[in-house]
Formats: sequence, C-alpha cells, structure tokens
Amino acid sequence: MSAARAEPGDDSSSYQLGRGFPVGDTGIRFGGYASVEAGAPSPGPWEFSVSDLSLFTTWTDHSHWRFFSETEVGDAFTAGGNQGLSTRNAHFELERLYIDRLFDDLFSLRFGKFLTPVGRWNLLHASPLTWTTSRPVATYDLFSKHATGLMLHGGFPVADRRMDYAFYADLTDDLDPYRSENPFNNALGSHWLYSVADNLELGLSYVNYQLHDDPSHRFNLVGVEGAWFYRRLELNTEWVYRNGGLQGLYQGFVQGVAPLVSHWYAIGRYEYFDQIQEPAGQLGVFGLAFRPVPPLVWKVEYRIGTHNETSAPDGLYGSFAVLF
Amino acid sequence: MVAAAGSRLDKLSLDTVKLVFKRKSMVDTYGGRWIPVNLPAANPLRRMFSLSVFDALPEDMEEYWNEQYFQGINPPEVLSSEEAVLRFVAATPGAVGYIPASRADARVKVLLLVRPAADFSEPR
Repeated sequence: MSAARAEPGDDSSSYQLGRGFPVGDTGIRFGGYASVEAGAPSPGPWEFSVSDLSLFTTWTDHSHWRFFSETEVGDAFTAGGNQGLSTRNAHFELERLYIDRLFDDLFSLRFGKFLTPVGRWNLLHASPLTWTTSRPVATYDLFSKHATGLMLHGGFPVADRRMDYAFYADLTDDLDPYRSENPFNNALGSHWLYSVADNLELGLSYVNYQLHDDPSHRFNLVGVEGAWFYRRLELNTEWVYRNGGLQGLYQGFVQGVAPLVSHWYAIGRYEYFDQIQEPAGQLGVFGLAFRPVPPLVWKVEYRIGTHNETSAPDGLYGSFAVLF
Repeated sequence: MVAAAGSRLDKLSLDTVKLVFKRKSMVDTYGGRWIPVNLPAANPLRRMFSLSVFDALPEDMEEYWNEQYFQGINPPEVLSSEEAVLRFVAATPGAVGYIPASRADARVKVLLLVRPAADFSEPR
C-alpha cells in the first residue's frame, strides 16, 4: 500500500488460504493451487495423478500496471493400473503471463498469454473453483484454451448494470515458447458478459481463428453462457457452435449445484457434444463435493454417456484441490 | 464512506461503492486508482457494511474472492481499526473506506452515508 502502512494486527499482511502470500509492501503476491486426481474409467485401468501444481505471481504498482503469471507443473506424479508411480509424464506449462495497463474502467490493455475468454468455465477452470473433477467437453474441445497477443478489455454501465467486454487478437503461436495443447495459429475474438442482476450473468463469445494443428481451415465459433446463483444454489450453462471445418459442430452443457447438509453439495450435469466423424456424444455427470472452506474441495463423481468413449469415457472420478 | 479531505471527489453512489469494493472498478473518474480498505471480517461495522452494500456477509463472498484471485485480482486491504482507516484514508490519495459517521473529522471528506440494511441482522 502506498502512503501509509497497514497496522500490525490487520489480516492483510498475514497468510490466508486462497489469497496467496503478499511480500511486504512490494505489491508482489505469490500463490497458486494444487490438485490430485484419481479415476477408474470404463473400460480401462485406474489412473492417479498429481495433476496440477500451479504457482501464481501477481504484481501491481497500486497505480495503473498489473502483472500476472501462472506457471504449472502438470502430471508431476502419475500412476495407474499398468504403471507404477512415475514422473515421466511431468511437464512444465506457462499457463498465463501478461501485463495489464489500466487506463480507466472502460479501457485496459493486456499483452501476453491469457485464457481465451470463451464462456465462464475456461476463465475459472482451476480445480479448487470447479465442482467436478472432469471438465465439460464444450469448454475445451473446439477452441484453444489460451491465446497469446493483445486484449482490450473493460466494463461500462448498461441500464444500471455492468457490461464487461474483451476484444483480443492472438497474433502468432510463435510468441508462446511453451505451446498449449492445440493452440491458435491466429485468432480474433470478443467476449461480452452482462450482469443482469447481482446473481445472474449472461455472456456471449465470438472468435474467428485458425488452429495450429489444423491450418487448412479457418473457424468461426459463437458461444453463449449463463450463470445464476441463489444462496448456495447454482445453475450454469454454456453452449458453443463452430463452423468452418468439415461440418458445423454444437457442444454445450447445463450444470446444477445444490447444497446438502453442512458443507456437502450435490452436482448434476448434462453434456451434449457433436464430434467429427462420430455420432454426437451425450453425458450425465452425477457428483458430490465436500467444501469445508471455499478454497478447499473434495469431489467424487460418476460419468455415464453415449458415444463418449473417446472424449469423456464412463467411469468413477475423484479429486482433491486446494487454492493457496 | 470517506476519502481524504483533499480528494477531488465530492460524492459516491452506492453502485460505485459496490463496484469499487468488489474491485470491478479500479480507476476513478479523474483517472486515479481506487484504493478501497476494509475492516477485519469480524468487525461489526464491516459486517453491517457488507450486508448493506452486497446483501452478503464477508464469509459469503469468499468464493467470489477466490475466483477473482485466480484472475489476479485481490480483495481490498484490511486495516485493523476505524482509526487506522481514518489515518490511512487521510494520508493516501485514492483511498476510500468506511467509518461510523460520528468519527468523521477534518482529515476526511464524507462521500456517502451508508445506512444499515432495514433488516440488518445476522443469520444465526
């Protein structure tokens, strides 16, 4: 903080789970999250992994600059029905690395690698923030989860409510030495999110792009999203439609979360996903989550579906995740 | 709601306070950076402020702040007492905080009177 220091006894300088660790008055904060997953897909051997060890570094000058990075060791340890505990699948990922220049609430400019703003899930995909171990197919299958380039973003009032927007350009995947899975070759996109009420958000996404692994096609993807909250009830939905390849593809999901006793929650999700050269898949996910405090969650779920063997096989999955 | 006595701001709307304390608004109308400060979560004034402005207690907003943290945005800093808020706000351009109306003095400018929610009472 700038002109005066926080006094001893306040909780701004002490550690709190899920908030990171501030380094004095430097504006630097370290944090991250970790998750451990186990699965018993059907058919297939059981699998276990320390799936994410992620470190955040944030910095702000308390004025108009903000830096954020997320570096991750994925699958640091894995084991399964046909292998012992191993580090052979461990890999380093630079999930995000960007700097923001805030001009005013309407305009901020971001440069670097960021999460592609398509839907809500991709922007908040960290295991401690989600209710299921598995991720809906529609939130990653048809587009790159990351973009590297420039983003103009901000918010403004519309009818006494806030509209957040982002326009972004993925310039070239050469800017990202740690390429994500199936990155954009280049992309132009926009995301709009309107807070209809304190507990209801509606969003719209559009992105025109070429994928690194499929440079012969140029795609258009349109997405819609909605999130409604009432006390501890939640309802989320996201749908995307992509054309430009061999066929137009629809994918989406609807997920509901309801509190049970104490810190237990029940989760139900329906997914639909068109697939290339396969019939459309459908899934049901039925889960339980125990969240004793918001940054920490245990999850278990059973997934069952049709034509889902490739993308999201049936089975029992569980995980533990903590934001630190 | 108070800011430094020399602040160029004269008033704040409740909607603006909500955006500033949820870190949705980062920059004021003059281009300066907002620096909102909170009292500790257990402080009765903090709890009244949170219920009146957000219709939620501080602990009910933990999931919101976890999501913001994942996006690189941290909640307002916390100061230990009303006097600490007064001193910090008075000395820090861009700082805004809340104190009981009776504690406002010449060091600060009152920008908004936040009245307790009509049904202010904590769930048991």
